[in-house]
Amino acid sequence: MNVLSCSTNTLKGLYDISGVEVGQHFYWQIGGFQVHGQVLITSWVVIAILLGSASIAVRNPQTIPNDSQNFFEYVLEFIRDVSKTQIGEEYGPWVPFIGTMFLFIFVSNWSGALLPWKIIELPHGELAAPTNDINTTVALALLTSVAYFYAGLTKKGLSYFSKYIQPTPILLPIHILEDFTKPLSLSFRLFGNILADELVVVVLVSLVPLVVPIPIMFLGLFTSGIQALIFATLAAAYIGESMEGHH
Amino acid sequence: MAKMIVASSSSCKTQIPPPLSAPKPKQQQPNSLPQATLPLPKLRLPKPLAALSPKSLPLLAAAAAASSAALLAQPLPALAEEIEKASLFDFNLTLPIIAGEFLLLMFALDKVYFSPLGNFMDQRDAEIKEKLSGVKDTSQEVKQLEEQAAAVMRAARAEISAALSKMKKETQVEVEQKLLEGRRKVEAELQEALAILESQKEETLKALDSQIAVLSQDIVNKVLPVK
Repeated sequence: MNVLSCSTNTLKGLYDISGVEVGQHFYWQIGGFQVHGQVLITSWVVIAILLGSASIAVRNPQTIPNDSQNFFEYVLEFIRDVSKTQIGEEYGPWVPFIGTMFLFIFVSNWSGALLPWKIIELPHGELAAPTNDINTTVALALLTSVAYFYAGLTKKGLSYFSKYIQPTPILLPIHILEDFTKPLSLSFRLFGNILADELVVVVLVSLVPLVVPIPIMFLGLFTSGIQALIFATLAAAYIGESMEGHH
Repeated sequence: MAKMIVASSSSCKTQIPPPLSAPKPKQQQPNSLPQATLPLPKLRLPKPLAALSPKSLPLLAAAAAASSAALLAQPLPALAEEIEKASLFDFNLTLPIIAGEFLLLMFALDKVYFSPLGNFMDQRDAEIKEKLSGVKDTSQEVKQLEEQAAAVMRAARAEISAALSKMKKETQVEVEQKLLEGRRKVEAELQEALAILESQKEETLKALDSQIAVLSQDIVNKVLPVK
């Protein structure tokens, strides 16, 4: 807790030097509720990229795939592979969920690193990766929780809850705690990594504008991909775990 | 879960002492204090706020919160303006909107990408497998054809050899006939020649008989000179 407040303090210091806009939002009012406009704008762009490229590439599938179709087939096989290793033989219905999770997070992260969002000036706050906002990551993590509960309940009915006392009833509190820590760790891992990555790049650019930030940027691209993979793999693992039989 | 987190952030906004929920929201409260407290109504006076909040906290969190408040005390007045706007852990309607967007994206991508391309790939796999097994079948066909070809070849060979042997026999008969004829001819000629020879021999002998008397007379005359 102290560490966190300390780090926010140091962040504030750095923030003064570099003019980084941390935790500032471009607020919209929707029916008395506040909404982070910059997150929604970037998420729409990400969704448009995903749907547009997918529909163009897959519009007319060829038996011998052309380049873009080949790429999308590769991605689909990768997603199927991840789902299959984590969930098992009944992975079929979960491919859209895992795949969308992976692609959305991946394209969001890379859009934060690659797209020149900063060109577009907002009256308040700035455009960045949608995963840079805690709302997005918590939303995704909660959907994962709902998904694994849904998977367990449809597979086994109410006997799904018997796994809470499975080896021994003593573990009941720990099992219940797990249901809270899973989405918490998922969302904060993604949020922290992406925010920290973008902050490091911005701060370095403001301090040393040439050459030095480049390796960090590549590291950022790498981290972004890894985070997307981790999120999708863990989501699949949780789903698989709630679907597997008792021992 | 969502409700808990949202409740935690909203509870520190409205400054209600935390209810009997889990310790997690209490932990978050001091974190979000500097930032999350600010955006809504009571962001007027950050300093008394920071001083006030430890009172409302349970004893356990009080010490930590006090230290964080002490840390915050210095930068707060200077950065009051900026901090007012900054809120990292600011939960609001964005969360359900993003969740809805994600679900829509999931259905759309499933319609556009996952299902069509997945089905297409599966279908192609099945086709290729079918074709592969079809190739195995044709290899059997090829075997049959090869056997047929071998049978045809064997039949042809047999036919040829039969024809050959037949021809051979025929020619042999012919040759033998001719040979026989020739032999007969030769024998006849031989007989004839022998007969001629015999007759000539007899003639010569007859001539010799007639000459013998003369010759013997000559010899006697020569040996016995009788004058």
